Amino acid sequence: MDLRHDVLQIIFEALKSLNEELPEDQQVALSEDTLLFGGESTIDSLSLVSVIVDVETAISTQFDRPVALTDDRAMSREPSPFTSVRTLTDFVVELLTEKA
Amino acid sequence: MSAKSRVLQGIFVDLRPLAEGDAAITCKWRAAERARHLNQGAQTPEDQARWIASRPQSEHNFIIQLRSGQPVGMLSLVDVDNRNSRAETGRFLIGEEDVVKGQPVAVEAMALLYDFAFNDLGLLRLYGTIAASNTLMIKWQKFLGMKQEGVLRNHYRIGGEFQDAVAMGILEDEYRTVFLARAKVLMAAGKVPVPTT
Repeated sequence: MDLRHDVLQIIFEALKSLNEELPEDQQVALSEDTLLFGGESTIDSLSLVSVIVDVETAISTQFDRPVALTDDRAMSREPSPFTSVRTLTDFVVELLTEKA
Repeated sequence: MSAKSRVLQGIFVDLRPLAEGDAAITCKWRAAERARHLNQGAQTPEDQARWIASRPQSEHNFIIQLRSGQPVGMLSLVDVDNRNSRAETGRFLIGEEDVVKGQPVAVEAMALLYDFAFNDLGLLRLYGTIAASNTLMIKWQKFLGMKQEGVLRNHYRIGGEFQDAVAMGILEDEYRTVFLARAKVLMAAGKVPVPTT
């Protein structure tokens, strides 16, 4: 099983769900390079929370274990896990690997 | 000092009292696509100015502005009931969404309002209703500690169609245990500190 690939697909699914709520001109690209939150990013905090909640729910279902993306480590980490799809993927994989 | 005359200062944004001079920009925001989930507001700046001037003492209506002074949205605390230690949050709208993308403007604005309500006014409960179609806002509020308390059927008529309202509320202890912790993470992602009490 390619854990990173699976996590990335979960994040893409969360972004697809988000795109269903956003207007055409605000669609978020499904790419590891997509910037999420902070600096030159493309989404606001409402959209970020939607992604966080959907990813946490999907991880819990698919891997049968709870994952909290907004713990103290997320707050202190540099760069923030929510900077881009890539940093979020890396963070989730790290959490899942540690708890395995 | 009355909240009517003071600014709630944040790191990234301030909340300043809504004034009649804000009529044109707030009327523009209310007419935008982003405001489709809100009740219909004033149709002209003149009507909006009259509406602002007629706000009662039980309301605290704020403009969300960047520290540069640029107004980017609005947020209110209404129906302040000191006897029952409660108030309603509402009229929450980020009008200049392109200006604030990637920045924790909404969450810091809500943090400032909650700090004012729970710590300055000493309230114990805040509540509000959200149009059922505003799914991102419902998800956002739940993530930040609000709990769904009910559904008001056909509560809003928006765009000519009736729709339900989701009734939500947050208690003072939930603010301290849930909101502050989660707001901290969102603000850290945007590099903005959050109050700790």
